[in-house]
Amino acid sequence: MRQLLLLAGKDLRLEWRSREIVISMGLLALLLVVVLAAAGAGTVSAPAAMWVTYAFGATLGFTRTFAIERDHLTALLLAPVDRGLIYVAKGMANWFALTVVQAASLPLFGALFTESIWTHLPALALPLILGGLALSVVGTLFGALIAQTRLRETLLPILMLPVMLPALVAAVGATTGILDGQPLSAVGAQLQLLGAFDMLFAATGLLLFDVLMGE
Amino acid sequence: MRLLLILGITLMLFGLTWALVLAPTELIQGPPQRIMYLHVPAVLTAYAALGIVFISSVLFLWRREARWDRLALAAAELGVLFVTMTLVTGSLWGRPVWGTWWTWDARLTTTLILWFIYVGYLIVRAWAPGERGARAAAVIGIVGVLDIPLIHWSAILLRTLHPQPTVFRPEGPALPASMLIPLAINLVAFLTLFLALLTLRVRQEDTLARLVEILEGGA
Repeated sequence: MRQLLLLAGKDLRLEWRSREIVISMGLLALLLVVVLAAAGAGTVSAPAAMWVTYAFGATLGFTRTFAIERDHLTALLLAPVDRGLIYVAKGMANWFALTVVQAASLPLFGALFTESIWTHLPALALPLILGGLALSVVGTLFGALIAQTRLRETLLPILMLPVMLPALVAAVGATTGILDGQPLSAVGAQLQLLGAFDMLFAATGLLLFDVLMGE
Repeated sequence: MRLLLILGITLMLFGLTWALVLAPTELIQGPPQRIMYLHVPAVLTAYAALGIVFISSVLFLWRREARWDRLALAAAELGVLFVTMTLVTGSLWGRPVWGTWWTWDARLTTTLILWFIYVGYLIVRAWAPGERGARAAAVIGIVGVLDIPLIHWSAILLRTLHPQPTVFRPEGPALPASMLIPLAINLVAFLTLFLALLTLRVRQEDTLARLVEILEGGA
């Protein structure tokens, strides 16, 4: 646990000093909200616009997951900790950055798309958290996968978006239901799907990260 | 391998002639129904190919033997080919029968997303050569198959329109024999041709690996 906090803390400290990821990801997210709203997406398409924004923000930010190690990736891999912990720590740092971006873009959604975001905020937190986790568990695994390939910035969205589709469909469904004022039980199936997605790919990431990074 | 290829092509010609000329025309759908004789074998072959990708990717990551990687690559290429065929034939059938080229049905969505995932797999193979690329591709090969139930589930939450299974179902096939037999022949033809092409591609990759080994050994 201490090792996990050290590893995740290292990434967050790096991020706090440079703010590279949150600023690039956050700015892209704000830009997408404005572009989608200006292009005519209305109240009905608010949930779809929201999750498209987060998905693109994530694909931009998560390419940096292992790039921030620069030449020290080998040092990180040689650290006397379980490789799975590195995956979890990277995932936590990514999730944290994404959550900051989600929180920062909500006021803009409220202003440009629908004010019902504010009345349903507590319930809305559930799909936001589960969907953010879904983007993070897959994004971190794929971030590791592309770390040493050419053209990684191009590759990540191409690989990540199709795999993410079920989580995005479920997150949009749950968000739509909640913004319509339905009780949480009405979007139970969507939330279950999100939870199953999170667990399946967190486990897959934990198992495959070690073999992926190799010796 | 050559025998498989000849057998596959012969069966394919035979099966297609039967399906297009001899088999009865379906009452409601009319001639477009004959697309089924291509569509169903194509999708089953595609799933067989992706199953092979999954199993050989797991074996490659576990055993670290390059031959599993070569098998996965060959199967993925053919998998994408047969998934493409499934999507195109399905769409051609959908226009006259459903009145639309495309709908967000559970099976259609799953097939389309699988196409994207395994095209991504092939891109990684092309852009990231060597051991690292092979391992990265294996992870995608595994993740893609694990994603199938989730994609299917998410698409059911949208809605469904696809015909229910008429052949593989617990009560036994609902298709009359006059249609079932040509379908079965085409299925065997597709699988035989797939095996022939798979063997051919694996051999090519084996030869390539040996050539690289010799060249590097000589340098």
